[in-house]
Amino acid sequence: MQKFFSNRKLVIVIVCLIISGGLMGVSVAIRDKSNTPPVIQQAGNDIVGFADRAVAMPMNGVRHGFVSIKNLLNTYEENERLKSKVNDLTQTKVKDETLTRENKQLKRQLKVGKTLTSYSKINAAVITRSPSSWNSQVVINKGENAGIKKNMPVIAGKGLIGTISEVNKTNSKVVLVSNTAQNSNRFAVQIVSSSNKVVNGIISSYDASKNEITMGNITSKAKIKKGDRVATSGLGGVMPKGIYVGQVSKVSADDYGLAKKVYIKPAANLNDIEIVSVAVRDTGVN
Amino acid sequence: MFKKISAGWVFAIGLILMFFLDGSISFVFSPELFNFPNSAVPCLTVLWLELTLIFADRKSLHLMFWAAVVGFIFDMYYMGLLGVFVFILPLVIYLSRIIYEALPANFLSGFLVYFIMITLVEGLSCFANVIVGTASVNMADFLVETLAPTLALNLVLFALLYFPVDGLYRAVSR
Repeated sequence: MQKFFSNRKLVIVIVCLIISGGLMGVSVAIRDKSNTPPVIQQAGNDIVGFADRAVAMPMNGVRHGFVSIKNLLNTYEENERLKSKVNDLTQTKVKDETLTRENKQLKRQLKVGKTLTSYSKINAAVITRSPSSWNSQVVINKGENAGIKKNMPVIAGKGLIGTISEVNKTNSKVVLVSNTAQNSNRFAVQIVSSSNKVVNGIISSYDASKNEITMGNITSKAKIKKGDRVATSGLGGVMPKGIYVGQVSKVSADDYGLAKKVYIKPAANLNDIEIVSVAVRDTGVN
Repeated sequence: MFKKISAGWVFAIGLILMFFLDGSISFVFSPELFNFPNSAVPCLTVLWLELTLIFADRKSLHLMFWAAVVGFIFDMYYMGLLGVFVFILPLVIYLSRIIYEALPANFLSGFLVYFIMITLVEGLSCFANVIVGTASVNMADFLVETLAPTLALNLVLFALLYFPVDGLYRAVSR
């Protein structure tokens, strides 16, 4: 015993391990709670975030240059493809406008206020990304001051890319759906099958070997086909209804053969995010 | 021209710059670096610490202290999980220092030491994340899909930056 404690290096190592374990435990505990990180961590992140903008700006400029050149080379092909879609889109848009107006009128008539589908957007730019392979997080340049709260959904391009995991005063972290953490991405989604049956469920994990997210524990008997669209259901938490998540790519039985497990291909390209929007659900009656 | 700038300033500014470049490079080149399923993670902060250890006067800079400071900011800003890099980075500096007592500090030994240190940094941080449940990766996938591309990327960066950084520290210490 005497010899053990006389070994200074060993004591230092053990103390370091204990502190390390303690800090990790504390930060995991804080992450699971609904409120934001402690004030000290928040202040630190804000300061670092400000400094980061100075470095990130020229780097993003370089990126813009590359992207512009790439776009220029693809323009002809893309133009051909898009021309065919424009007509279709105009029609859908007009229809959409009519339906939205009708929906509003009907809601007013029925004295229904804001429903789960009504949300507004906060636009933000991505500052940086965590240099880590399993921790798929990006930092965006809006925070608590802009009205962002934890667990809000983040949209980019075609659909949902992730949820807010940490909110500071002027920046916040977004966990992408490709994060492998066991407890990071849990949100309620629904699939409307071709026979108009609605299947509700929760995103349960990310399958890293297939680059797909999975939705487990589905006991509904409704037929789900490959290619069915998946959107958020707005049940529970702060997530609005109707944000596009992706398409069903495979349906199989789960490990025990009792429930179904659905594999979903995310719609948004998770590696090409520059501007994102945070969806804020409108609550209360208007 | 360089005479008024001390090695300490070069180290500090470089450290801040490399810290932010880590994130910026990960973001800007994410389609290339995080091309599914492989992921190559730039570790410029570790590279800067290692190169400073080789070229600059080790005693006057308190490298281990600054490694801990930058590790703490790294945990806080990028990872959101405290207590990982704050200990890994000083450990890496400590081990490299022991190795350089036995080895001559030249390009080849630096290359080998950097190889070992990147493996340590990635391995230990992965281990820490798996323990607390913020990552679920298995050993084989980690070795093939993360460690191998990361080593390739960082050793190329090492080869590219070795001589410029050597020149930089030589110019300010003259």
